[in-house]
Amino acid sequence: MSESANGPGPLIKVRNLHYTYSRGTPHEAVALRGVDLTVERGETVGLIGPTGSGKSTLLQHLNGLLRPQSGQVRIDGHDTGDPRADLRTIRRRVGLVFQNPEDQLFERYAGDDVAFGPRNLGLSRSEIRERVCWAMEAVGLDFEAFQDRLTLSLSEGERRRLALAGVLALKPEVLVLDEPTAGLDPRGRKDLLAWLIRWREEQEGTIVLASHNMEDLAQLANRLYVLVEGRAVLNGNPRKVFSRSEVLAGYGLETPLAVSVMHALRFRGLPVRADAITIAEAAAEIETLLNSR
Amino acid sequence: MSEFEFSRNITIGQYLPTNSPIHRLDPRVKLVGGALLLAAVMFSSSGVSLALALIAVLSVLALARIPLLHALRGLWSAWPFFVMVALLQLLLYPHAQSAAQSNALWQWGPLMVTGASLYLLVILLGRLMALILLVSGLTYCTTVTELSHGTERLLRPLQRVGMPAHELALVLTLTLRFLPLLAQEMERIIKAQASRGADFGGGRWNFVQRARRTFPLLIPLFVTSLRRAEDLIQAMEARCYLGGRGRTHLIRLRAKPIDFVALGLVVAFVAILFVANFAF
Repeated sequence: MSESANGPGPLIKVRNLHYTYSRGTPHEAVALRGVDLTVERGETVGLIGPTGSGKSTLLQHLNGLLRPQSGQVRIDGHDTGDPRADLRTIRRRVGLVFQNPEDQLFERYAGDDVAFGPRNLGLSRSEIRERVCWAMEAVGLDFEAFQDRLTLSLSEGERRRLALAGVLALKPEVLVLDEPTAGLDPRGRKDLLAWLIRWREEQEGTIVLASHNMEDLAQLANRLYVLVEGRAVLNGNPRKVFSRSEVLAGYGLETPLAVSVMHALRFRGLPVRADAITIAEAAAEIETLLNSR
Repeated sequence: MSEFEFSRNITIGQYLPTNSPIHRLDPRVKLVGGALLLAAVMFSSSGVSLALALIAVLSVLALARIPLLHALRGLWSAWPFFVMVALLQLLLYPHAQSAAQSNALWQWGPLMVTGASLYLLVILLGRLMALILLVSGLTYCTTVTELSHGTERLLRPLQRVGMPAHELALVLTLTLRFLPLLAQEMERIIKAQASRGADFGGGRWNFVQRARRTFPLLIPLFVTSLRRAEDLIQAMEARCYLGGRGRTHLIRLRAKPIDFVALGLVVAFVAILFVANFAF
């Protein structure tokens, strides 16, 4: 499989990645101990793991923010370990959305903040305006109403959407999200998930997301990696990974509610599918079961 | 290798628990001793006394089992400051005076470098180094709580003349506590900006570019600090904090014989330094 830019082969390939924070100082902290990960074009890959397992560290390698201390990270053919790697191209293709909007918003006015990315790309003023308008509308913030609002005056949900718009304005092919639904109310969560699914379809985009929310991942992910103490201990498609509930429980991880419910029903001898992972699938199974009685 | 790890370079405010004899000294002794050494360093104008002072500071760090490389890393990150001071010193040293004292080593128009100005430059840089090492050393060996407690006890006698000892100590504590936090905050903001295409790499020597790049960071840092301050106030009030009046401590500071010995040694050393300064 060739790994040339825009050629066949995984879009992102991480091999035996090691990373230690503050290496060589008394405050050393090993974050990643030899992680392997691949992301194919158009896939949605989920990362789960207990806090401190290295998920954020791994995500920051995917757009070249962190360079591998040992091991290799290839993004669309670019090797981020190479000192001459074209990081700006990588960061244009791979958009990283951090967990807290506060860490990403810094301009006074909302419109200016979204324009930061396109401005760094060196686009013309009219192109910048067009991108900002498109990005804000895409996340549901009306351009005319919000472009001159003070960033500080926005609500939490609006700030999150603004942060997302700021990354979208670069028109990335890959969206990397760190706990995108943490702290969102159920409505916000639902909207964001629906939006991600739409984005994925319309832009043929690739998504990598780290989340503690198993329901989100059951809905979105094609493949899951389970990260524990800096190592990928399990990977595979969500149905396979979630079926190993005892293993997951051993790492302090839960499974989606649907899985636990199906498990409990099967334990009582009822004939339901073992591999239903979303609420919708579980509901369908239960309905079938009730109708057949 | 990361372009973004700043917290590793901010060594002031980072406590290193090596449990050495220095760590176990009474914080008041460390504060007074540190202040005396600081004063001695500031008033040293001879090469010999400054060299002695530097040796003393380094030996204290060694006694405290602080890895030397770690301490020196804190100096490394202040290098632009050193360069700036050096340049100013070299260029603004009064020429008439120096021309009288020694021969010009290098001349370019109105700028002149002489032996005398070079010597003074070395003194100045040595002094800066000693200062930074001393202050970092103090925070390596003393926890923020100890520093705050020590400051408060030292200032307590002044409370009778109206000085708010407890509040001042608290200001000190919070400043030290927040330095590494602000460094982390800055790291986060820079990472977010870099992720959207801002160019922070390249141009280690391009100071104008680097200076311009810090402007978008200042506002968010300010805003975050203010927000943190507000949150902190609420947290403290929620735990019934009402100021320093009548406040007691869980741990009482008691001076042990070794503390007096250490203080005596520092005073003796400063006296020697004083003499050396005028003798050489």
